[in-house]
Amino acid sequence: MTAPAASSAPAALPLAGIRVLDIATIIAAPYCATLLGEFGADVLKLEHPVGGDGLRKFGTPSQRGDTYTWLSEGRNKRSVTLDLRLPDGVALFKRLVAQTDVLCENFRTGTLEKWGLGWEVLRAINPRLVMLRVTGYGQTGPYRDRPGFARVAHAVGGIAYLAGMPKGTPVTPGSTTLGDYMTGLYGCIGVLLALRHRDLTGEGQYVDAALYESVFRCTDELAPAYAMHGTVRERQGSSHNDNAVPHGHFATRDGKWIAISCATDKLFGRLAAAMGRPELASHSIYGTQAVRLEHRHDVNEIVRDWCGSLTRDEVLARCHATDTPAAPLNDIADIFGDRQFHARRTLVAVDEPETAETVIVPAVVPRLSETPGTIRSLGPRLGAHTDAVLQELLGCTPDEVAELRRKRVI
Amino acid sequence: MTADGSAAPAEPSLPTRLPLDGLRVVDVGNFLAGPYAASILGEFGAEVLKVEHPLAGDPMRRFGTGTTRPDATLKWLSEARNRKSVTLDLRQPEGVDLFLRLLGKSDVLVENFRPGTMEEWGLGWARIHAANPRLVMLRVTGYGQTGPYRRRHGFAHIAQAFGGLNYLCGFPGESPVLPGTVPLGDYIASLFGAIGVLVALRHAEATGRGQVIDVGIYEAVFRVLEEIAGVYGAQGKVREREGAGSFVAVPHGHFRTQDDRWIAIACTTDKMFERLAVAMGQPHLASSSLYGDQRKRLAARDTVNQLVIEWVASLPRDAVMARCLEEEVPVGKVNSIADIFADEQFQARGNLATVAVDGVGDVVVPGVVPTLSATPGRITGLGPALGDATDAVMRDLLGLAAGEVARLRAQRII
Repeated sequence: MTAPAASSAPAALPLAGIRVLDIATIIAAPYCATLLGEFGADVLKLEHPVGGDGLRKFGTPSQRGDTYTWLSEGRNKRSVTLDLRLPDGVALFKRLVAQTDVLCENFRTGTLEKWGLGWEVLRAINPRLVMLRVTGYGQTGPYRDRPGFARVAHAVGGIAYLAGMPKGTPVTPGSTTLGDYMTGLYGCIGVLLALRHRDLTGEGQYVDAALYESVFRCTDELAPAYAMHGTVRERQGSSHNDNAVPHGHFATRDGKWIAISCATDKLFGRLAAAMGRPELASHSIYGTQAVRLEHRHDVNEIVRDWCGSLTRDEVLARCHATDTPAAPLNDIADIFGDRQFHARRTLVAVDEPETAETVIVPAVVPRLSETPGTIRSLGPRLGAHTDAVLQELLGCTPDEVAELRRKRVI
Repeated sequence: MTADGSAAPAEPSLPTRLPLDGLRVVDVGNFLAGPYAASILGEFGAEVLKVEHPLAGDPMRRFGTGTTRPDATLKWLSEARNRKSVTLDLRQPEGVDLFLRLLGKSDVLVENFRPGTMEEWGLGWARIHAANPRLVMLRVTGYGQTGPYRRRHGFAHIAQAFGGLNYLCGFPGESPVLPGTVPLGDYIASLFGAIGVLVALRHAEATGRGQVIDVGIYEAVFRVLEEIAGVYGAQGKVREREGAGSFVAVPHGHFRTQDDRWIAIACTTDKMFERLAVAMGQPHLASSSLYGDQRKRLAARDTVNQLVIEWVASLPRDAVMARCLEEEVPVGKVNSIADIFADEQFQARGNLATVAVDGVGDVVVPGVVPTLSATPGRITGLGPALGDATDAVMRDLLGLAAGEVARLRAQRII
């Protein structure tokens, strides 16, 4: 197991002593718990006794059976089975909530309330509780009860409309779970803020996060430009929204792709030098952004021809020699071979102890100098920690645990 | 100024102490990657001082759609919310001294220069840490502070390409496109940065020790690509572009309606497909002998998608939406910004905040995300005029006399 490079004597992690109950599924709210766990929180993943979190089956199975996404995103968590649909399960859950700092959930609105576990009930049990609630549309508003997945959130939040060729089919914005992760990030920010408020005042609260809002918040000047000028931004392939030329993805001779971004005239000058045609950046030709925008087709054609005449490595070497902003469009094979990923240890190898499979997962982001986050274990087997947690935290005897198991509460 | 973006679920009338009240953040970054983290801190109570070059200021002031104010585009107004602007030339030694004094009275520093730039100005971590041992410093760059590519330019779209996101966007075998023409990488890196700052503040308050948070935009993007590293590591399988669909579920994609608009349908599970089949008036499609099982649908992907394409194309968007919603199929409009302004959920949640700006008028910007029940964030004002708080900060915070401030201004240090 590898931890990010850091000082030799590890300081106590900033969230040591914080207990998190993660009763959510798939990625959105659970990813918030993952982040908290990386920085030291004790994360208890509460799962349905039969099957557990759907993420265990969503995607490609590992040698152990659970998917690679589960192994990666279930990092540092302890798995406890508990059926919240049974009264005994609810009773045990309430006892856990009394000893918890953060609760993460992403059931459809009203589900917890139906089980007698709404915010008011939980707050009465533990006034210091911070609760993250993630849904497709948030806890309020006319769409609050609609089922919400990241795919739908990308569409509703406005980025799917902006992904694709002009007038072509809108495409998936790179990954079907992007909105889940983004909401996990926003949720984590909300939880950390709420914990701070809680520590100062003793007052808990809930964070109401909606998948579509996380996406919409990241849409640049879309809203003010529409409100002021009625501008409706459209899909533009790989080019920038009317601000910069050349800007986009260009194919190289060996059938690969690179990204070039010339946001300013100075950067275009560097690209022209890289292309061996510095005269293109003169005032009388394409030296100013306004002229390049006006002649975008011609400028892009010149860059396209140049890229198409060289291999990807050659294009990148020339761009980097003149400090032109350019990068390969890495696929995952490129990433595994890349020096920067290696130098930064962006890929971490962790052994799955049962099958001894070595699993490659993304390292902890962000990188803290004094208290770097850690990956202490991969996603656990379903219920691996049920007995330990019930005995340690709730003081259950082995007989009581056996009885709960017989009744399928755990 | 008014702000209605906070969408507080409970008692918004009572003024609450915000979680970051009393914290001071110095944002010396340009554009968005990093500064957006400062924006979030500002929304939840921190005082954010934007330190800018005296002549030009942050280039984001000139990037994007212009306004009647020469120093403010719409992008600047929205993303530089909740800030005070302080001019300071960090290329002059006296500017550096003033900056260090300012850091002595601050809690968080946000910067996104290319690695080595601050060090050239005499503002490396060692000196900053000595000036204020409790200070937390967020550094966001394309490739991070270490590694062979650290000095390369890393704008959002470049870092997104490098991090593996852009390769995945578009149709198989065709040109990769942007995952939406917005700088997603800048936003995502900033979200990670804000988390790092909040975690590091907790540590600093417990131990008195600040630290550096180092975020590469490329690794922020790479971190959110779910299973692709694990699957390539185990099986050597390279994820390719999946067009408008998904590799793990069918039907799961974008479909064109009769009136030439688009909707998204996401049938992640068999149950969801069963609901869609009912909505389509063809419940038999979800029988076990036909396409009731995800594996069968994946194997017959084109056939299943074609059935959905034809059904969606036979109805206007509103009719498709209505039928899907009735059966609780996960469905949504592929919204343009015009659709968003007309949408009742956006209205009800206060996602579009209207803020009055002197000299410009009303500006509509995205509201605060996320929503906190007891201490909702707020927008106190949009992007400030260049140097609007310079005098106040020099006088009140650093204790300079009026004559001194005038001299600094004459020498273009502020």
